[in-house]
Amino acid sequence: MFLEIKRVTKSFGEGESRQEVLKGIDLEVEKGEICVLLGPSGSGKSTLLNIIGGIDTPDEGYISINGEKTADMNEKALTRYRRKHLGYIFQQYNLIPNLNIKENVEVGAYLSDSPLDVDGLLKTLGLYEHRHKLPNQLSGGQQQRTAIGRAIVKNPDILLCDEPTGALDYKTSKEILKLIAEVNEKYGSTVIMVTHNDAIKLMADRVVKLRDGVIRHNTLNEQKTAAADLEW
Amino acid sequence: MRDPMIKRIPREIKSDIGKQLVIFLFFVLIISSASGYFVSGDSLIKSYNESFEKYNIEDGNFELYEKADKTTLEDIEKDGKISVYENFYKQEETSGFDSNLRIYGERREIDRVCLLSGDMPSKDNEIAIDRLYANNHKLEKGSKIKLNGRELTVSGLAALSDYSALYENASDLMFDNDKFGVGVMTDEGFDSISDAHLHYSYSWKYDSKPKDKEDAKDKAEQLVKDISKHAVLTNYIPEYVNEAIIFAGDDMADDMVGMQAFLYITIGILAFITAITTDNTMIEEAGVIGTLRASGYTRGELLRHYLAVPLITLTAAAIAGNIIGYTVMEKYMALAYLNSYSLTTYVVRFNLKALIYTTAVPFLIMLVINMVTIAGKLSFSPLQFLRRDLSRRKKKKAFRLNTRIPIMTRFRLRIIFQNLPNYITIIAGSFLANFILMFGLIFQPMLENFQDSVSDNMLCSYIYVMKAPAETENESAEKGYLTDLETTYEQYKHEQVSIYGIQKDSKYVNIGHEGDGVYISTAYRNKYDLKKGDKITLKEKYADKEYTFTVRDFYDYPSTIAVFMDYDQLEDTFDEDSRSPIYLSNKKITDIDDMMIATTISKDDLTKTSRQLMRSMGSIMTVFLVFGIIMFVIVVYLLAKIIIERNARSISMTKILGYTNGEISGLYVHSTSLVTVLSIICTIPLADKILASVFKVIFMSYSGYFPYYVPPMILMKAMLIGVVSYFAVSLLLNAKVKHVDLAEALKNVE
Repeated sequence: MFLEIKRVTKSFGEGESRQEVLKGIDLEVEKGEICVLLGPSGSGKSTLLNIIGGIDTPDEGYISINGEKTADMNEKALTRYRRKHLGYIFQQYNLIPNLNIKENVEVGAYLSDSPLDVDGLLKTLGLYEHRHKLPNQLSGGQQQRTAIGRAIVKNPDILLCDEPTGALDYKTSKEILKLIAEVNEKYGSTVIMVTHNDAIKLMADRVVKLRDGVIRHNTLNEQKTAAADLEW
Repeated sequence: MRDPMIKRIPREIKSDIGKQLVIFLFFVLIISSASGYFVSGDSLIKSYNESFEKYNIEDGNFELYEKADKTTLEDIEKDGKISVYENFYKQEETSGFDSNLRIYGERREIDRVCLLSGDMPSKDNEIAIDRLYANNHKLEKGSKIKLNGRELTVSGLAALSDYSALYENASDLMFDNDKFGVGVMTDEGFDSISDAHLHYSYSWKYDSKPKDKEDAKDKAEQLVKDISKHAVLTNYIPEYVNEAIIFAGDDMADDMVGMQAFLYITIGILAFITAITTDNTMIEEAGVIGTLRASGYTRGELLRHYLAVPLITLTAAAIAGNIIGYTVMEKYMALAYLNSYSLTTYVVRFNLKALIYTTAVPFLIMLVINMVTIAGKLSFSPLQFLRRDLSRRKKKKAFRLNTRIPIMTRFRLRIIFQNLPNYITIIAGSFLANFILMFGLIFQPMLENFQDSVSDNMLCSYIYVMKAPAETENESAEKGYLTDLETTYEQYKHEQVSIYGIQKDSKYVNIGHEGDGVYISTAYRNKYDLKKGDKITLKEKYADKEYTFTVRDFYDYPSTIAVFMDYDQLEDTFDEDSRSPIYLSNKKITDIDDMMIATTISKDDLTKTSRQLMRSMGSIMTVFLVFGIIMFVIVVYLLAKIIIERNARSISMTKILGYTNGEISGLYVHSTSLVTVLSIICTIPLADKILASVFKVIFMSYSGYFPYYVPPMILMKAMLIGVVSYFAVSLLLNAKVKHVDLAEALKNVE
């Protein structure tokens, strides 16, 4: 199994205000799958994504990618793990504001021994003509495409997407989802996407529904819908 | 209802207590030092000014070749419209330690004495001596001083009101309270000292006080003519040029201006730091500001809110600083003067000016700089705040960097350009800090260089200035002439120029004897920027006769303003009365009666400036050094910290992307390192150049010449101190980068 999540628990706060956000999550994801984590606010889906991404640690249980367990890793090893395996896309894009579009993508490329061609990728993303602009000169969709470019340029094993369309309009959201599906197909990256948009589950290979820190449904989607055809 | 935003203010201070505390303490340090300085300086200046009347300080003094009889004195008093007071002194070398002690008799009317401790002399063998001279030689009440075979007992320590700075001669470059001291004895005691070195010195007071300095000058110029009509003058020093009386007052007044400039520049830099900090906070709180503005808060209300923290910090620091200034620092700051000047007693007085200088003006500087920054930021619309759309240049295209430059280098360059105001303030702060640091560092080597240079370039070991021609068997001795003239520059103080007449086959001074013109000392050339062929016009000290010479060449003599000419040329130019025969000699002349020798000039005389400066300023230089380092560290740390805080989200994101702490520090800390180290490398030579100009201006108002010299090693040392201090700062910055939370990028900022 490519990605293995075993008995992961996570709590925040102490004493009476202690809140158990993840209550023993078990999940397995195959390489190249698109896995959509669905759930209402507070269900624990973003916390789970952060634990997979190595930017948060579980109280118990472990994450394993290709047999490498994150629980055994110190801070340096976790950094190496993120560098080697992960690409991250956020709702807020989190581009570096004082670097231009191309440089933001190059920041991702720098981390890889065999990055994708930056100019080629910018052309694929439709950003080549904007490459000298700063992020705040672009629309939300263009910024998110840049964030995707930064995430995939290092050719990561897993693309973690936290509400990637949360800040975008309907049309742009569909463009971004299409792009993520294309990346998955073209580069074989495993995609883990957190969303509260139920319609997105239709483009996934695996749909995981969380509520109150527990997986309620974990189903394989046999009949995927193309991102372009999604409606909500 | 009270503005609920007020409740945020203590919380804001508490939430960033480290930074606030650093800024507060630095303000306290500067303000308390300045306050103590102003209060002690002003109290001392007031006491000093009052001393003129309280101790009846003279309007001038003159020395006659021989004692004047009653009629002569009456004629002088009548013609000059002055009252003349006998103020004879005898000057003797002390045995046991190397110094000259100038002894006066009782001073009942003119230049009265302020007893500081012990008693005034009551017996023939008792003497009250100057406090600083006593301290330098560890003398106290009951100590014995041996001079010319006599043993005197110190009865007390005193300040002679006409010797607030212990200048032995009016022409001396600097006072010297180590090798020169003054004291008073009873009249009987004074008479019992040998008359070998008796000086017929008279002090005068004008019948009607001069209205101003101009008037004093006119009166003095007339008086010298009046006296000369009746007696042979050997010395003439009006009060307004008598450094022993006026130097301390001028110096203290000048220092006040310097301290003010230093205080305001430092406050200005700190105000920029707080303004940049507030600007950063406003960017972070853009959403809140947008909401408040949209809800009806006015720009004025928010302006007052964001002004509150920096102004509260400054006000608290000003209160604490002034309290510490009056109670603690005043004593330390007064020491800076009391260790240099023989001042009469003083009392600490409340000083409104000091309060204005250290509280009102800094408050105004802080207010203006912060208000301009905050008001500028608040000029954005509520919607722009809500959209975090707070850059005026955003719609312009980003400037391009060559893509052949590695991405990490471009990243660093972008950080530098993004944070230009911070870096410019770092460069300005670094310059000021380095200026202070350099001031602390260069002093000692400069003085040492001066001493070495004087020792290496002495004409000979001793110059004996004779009262009249006398013969010696000493083979080392070589005859010459010396006369003193004065410069005639309009814009500078007139100063003494020593004119030497040198024999053709001189073994001591090697100048060309054929042709026209004169040689001038390198000190003369350097001080007044003279070139070969320039004409110099000099005048007689106590007369109007002028002499013009053409500069033929320069003679390497770095400490004295001097002219060298041929022996015969001098004999032809100056008549017998206005030239003194001298002996240049490497060996002491022992076969000429002391009575025949007017003065002996040795290495000690030429190096008294550097020795006195070292005594007066040596310990203060360490303070400058430490202050420079503290200032450098604080400025760089606070501004670099802001850069990291401003980029916390980007730093967090790069961490998430998989960048290591080392790589991120390589981006965000090394950009600061690059700017800081470059600013150290550039501002130290700049500080050196400016210090050279500052020193030149300062020393223009002194007699003689004091070359500015900084060995290259000192520049290297200053740079090394800067780099090592920055290394400590960079460790803190690296820790700061390390502590940026990964979750920072996950925060919802919309």
